[in-house]
Amino acid sequence: MSSTGVKLKRLKLGDLLQRDVWDVDEARHIEVLDQRGLPIKALLLLCPMGCYTMAGERLLMSYEGCVECATCRVLSNPHQIRWEYPRSGRGIQYRFT
Amino acid sequence: MRVVVGIKWVPNTQAVRFDPETGTLIRRGVPSIVNPHDLPAVELSLRLRDEVGGEVIAIAMAPPPASKGLEFVLGMGVDRAILITDRVYAGADTLATSYVLARAIQKINAEIGDVDLVVFGQETIDSSTAHIPAQVASWLELPYIYYVKEATVVGNGRVRVVRELENYLEEYELELPAVLGVAIRALKPRPVSLSMKLRTKFEKRLITWTNNDLKLDPRCTGLKGSPTIVAKTIDMPEVPRRREVFKARDAREAAKWIVAKMLADEKTRELLYRSLWGGRG
Amino acid sequence: MGTTSKFDVVIVGAGPAGCSSAYLLARAGLRVLLVERGRSAGSKLLWGGKAYAQPIREVWPELDKEAPIHRWVTRERFSFVWGDRILTVEYKLGRSVAFTSYLPELVSWMARKAESAGALLVEDVRVDEIVVKDGRVVGVRSGDDVVRADVVIDAEGVNRMLLEKLGLAEKLDVNSGVALGVKETLSLDSKLIEERFNLDKGEGLSWLVAGDITRGLPGGGFIYTMRDSISIGLVIPIGPAAKAAEEGILKEHVSSLVESFRLHPYFNRLWREADVIEYGGRMTIEGGLSMMPRRLYAPGLLVVGDAAGFLVNTGYTIRGVDTAVYSGKLAAETVIEALSRGGFTEDNLKAYEDKVRRSYIYRELRNHSGVEDIMKDPFYFTKLPQVVVGAAGRLFEADYEEPTLIRSVVEASRDAGISLVRAFFKLARVVRRL
Repeated sequence: MSSTGVKLKRLKLGDLLQRDVWDVDEARHIEVLDQRGLPIKALLLLCPMGCYTMAGERLLMSYEGCVECATCRVLSNPHQIRWEYPRSGRGIQYRFT
Repeated sequence: MRVVVGIKWVPNTQAVRFDPETGTLIRRGVPSIVNPHDLPAVELSLRLRDEVGGEVIAIAMAPPPASKGLEFVLGMGVDRAILITDRVYAGADTLATSYVLARAIQKINAEIGDVDLVVFGQETIDSSTAHIPAQVASWLELPYIYYVKEATVVGNGRVRVVRELENYLEEYELELPAVLGVAIRALKPRPVSLSMKLRTKFEKRLITWTNNDLKLDPRCTGLKGSPTIVAKTIDMPEVPRRREVFKARDAREAAKWIVAKMLADEKTRELLYRSLWGGRG
Repeated sequence: MGTTSKFDVVIVGAGPAGCSSAYLLARAGLRVLLVERGRSAGSKLLWGGKAYAQPIREVWPELDKEAPIHRWVTRERFSFVWGDRILTVEYKLGRSVAFTSYLPELVSWMARKAESAGALLVEDVRVDEIVVKDGRVVGVRSGDDVVRADVVIDAEGVNRMLLEKLGLAEKLDVNSGVALGVKETLSLDSKLIEERFNLDKGEGLSWLVAGDITRGLPGGGFIYTMRDSISIGLVIPIGPAAKAAEEGILKEHVSSLVESFRLHPYFNRLWREADVIEYGGRMTIEGGLSMMPRRLYAPGLLVVGDAAGFLVNTGYTIRGVDTAVYSGKLAAETVIEALSRGGFTEDNLKAYEDKVRRSYIYRELRNHSGVEDIMKDPFYFTKLPQVVVGAAGRLFEADYEEPTLIRSVVEASRDAGISLVRAFFKLARVVRRL
């Protein structure tokens, strides 16, 4: 087996998110309007940034860590999730990709 | 009404990461942004102008790349921007910075027209001193109010200003000219607009002033004019968090759980009592 | 507010496609406005890492000399992974036709070229709507502002919300043929990269991986070498992944799949010193013709790049940047020719669609159409790797005598639970499509 240093430790999503840069907009650009009928498990597991979480029975969307990939838009319709891009160039700022 | 708003071009500190292996900060590829706490100040300035007419002039003392930040606020609707840049300004602490900014504001006053109001954000995300607005006010010998939440023009060269303190609001009416420090998150900044961006592209609204324009004594600017000495920097160790998730049926149950948790821990209990009853446990 | 200005052409999106159109049109003397929602052109882009050079050189002959190219790809690898058994094929190219780069860097270079040719680039501005009047596209709206144009070129990318609003594309959903790309950038000293991947200085490697790294989901993994970093990640069709999540078959978060890929004992030795310097996700097109809108033009409108569905996935190569650039070029040529032929009538703009259909983009899309469906068939992302790796195991892990090739395949198929005949027909189907 290979040697395991710090660099070969499994990173939690929270650690991965620390690698990225955002200029977070004050205005929310994605919002759950009606969670009925949404594929909740898919949103929880497929949003690459883990923006979707459950608070009890309620689906929460934290737009701050969003990378605007639109996976959740594909998984929903406009009356379930309001989906826009952030304005003023804010949101994710990719550098090394 | 002529409003001068100061902005700072800062590294997006949220992007600076600590490497636990080497014990250093990872700054590679950290992009700069307009200090987020300056945006409410820009918004407040624009609202005043929209209300009574006039112009908003943004100023920044910074190396040339900061023009990108000035272009951003021009995109929000600022009428013109002045980049104050010179090698002799480099390495300035807040004293030397406020000196240059104050002299620039005086130059605006003399050459462009009377400055009625000078507005700053409360502090910057990269140094958090909150010195600049107070120091500029001091250089200019103008009244200064900070933690400003809103400002309205009430006529006869006066503004009414609301400042937000922890438990109450204060309302002032003060004579212009004056200096305001706008509270963090006091106002939602308006987005950059296409028409303002185009205006900036078509008309030259960003100018540069160097020390040839300001003619300041280099001994009072930059590193030479900065009495501040950084004696030592200490990296704060990361505090390990013990996270717990509690799924409550309702808010009451959740609140009960949190309170119970806080009371269970001695230190937290002490802090809680102190903040509630001033230390009597 | 609501200021109106007028341009000859407004281009939505300063990606590879938008910048190409902007550059060529500005160079031809047209008044061009290029509107980008990101802080700077490229700042919203994430990709795997490899672009094919020749179509890009058709727009920018100075590509090799000036562009921020990281490495010229001289090695192509493909691996089947099943458990701890891995079969890898490597091809050492005789001449390099593709390069790796960070897309934000590459696109920023393209945008600067467009600007210096005279195009007006406006960043930080989101376009909210393509404005139609009397059945004709007349400009774009952002907030309260409307900017008019004789032609609008839609280069908004895969998440084509503007086209949807116009009714020219269906709303994206799980059946649309879109996939989620999730990736990590790993920083690694350039010398180490060259040592580990057996590369000469400045040479690069492109590596596609199929098998159980996707935990039974369709799709696969990629590895690209950059100058002093490595790009690794997975591309997973959203529809099947969502279904697997809802049915409880997928139990992990996608980031955990990528982390497992990074930590995979066979791969991690290649980058064990590397730090993760960026993590992200982006939607991409699975490939084939399914994402191509019914029409690529409308009165006053042309659609280019990802918005037009121009991503070629052959199963062994994926190309989207060169096709975007090339479609941007075709759109620019159409606009210039339309001007000399009396304006932007529907007929004159239809020429764009004809150009696309005659181009390599359409041929590639058509020839490899269906690959995206094949890739979603569990046979190809679970059974096939199992059979291939299993057969190799029988050949190479024999203590005394190895079975014949055919016998090892028969046995591996049996272990994977499929009949050899079925496997043969499936294989024939995929080979015909590749």
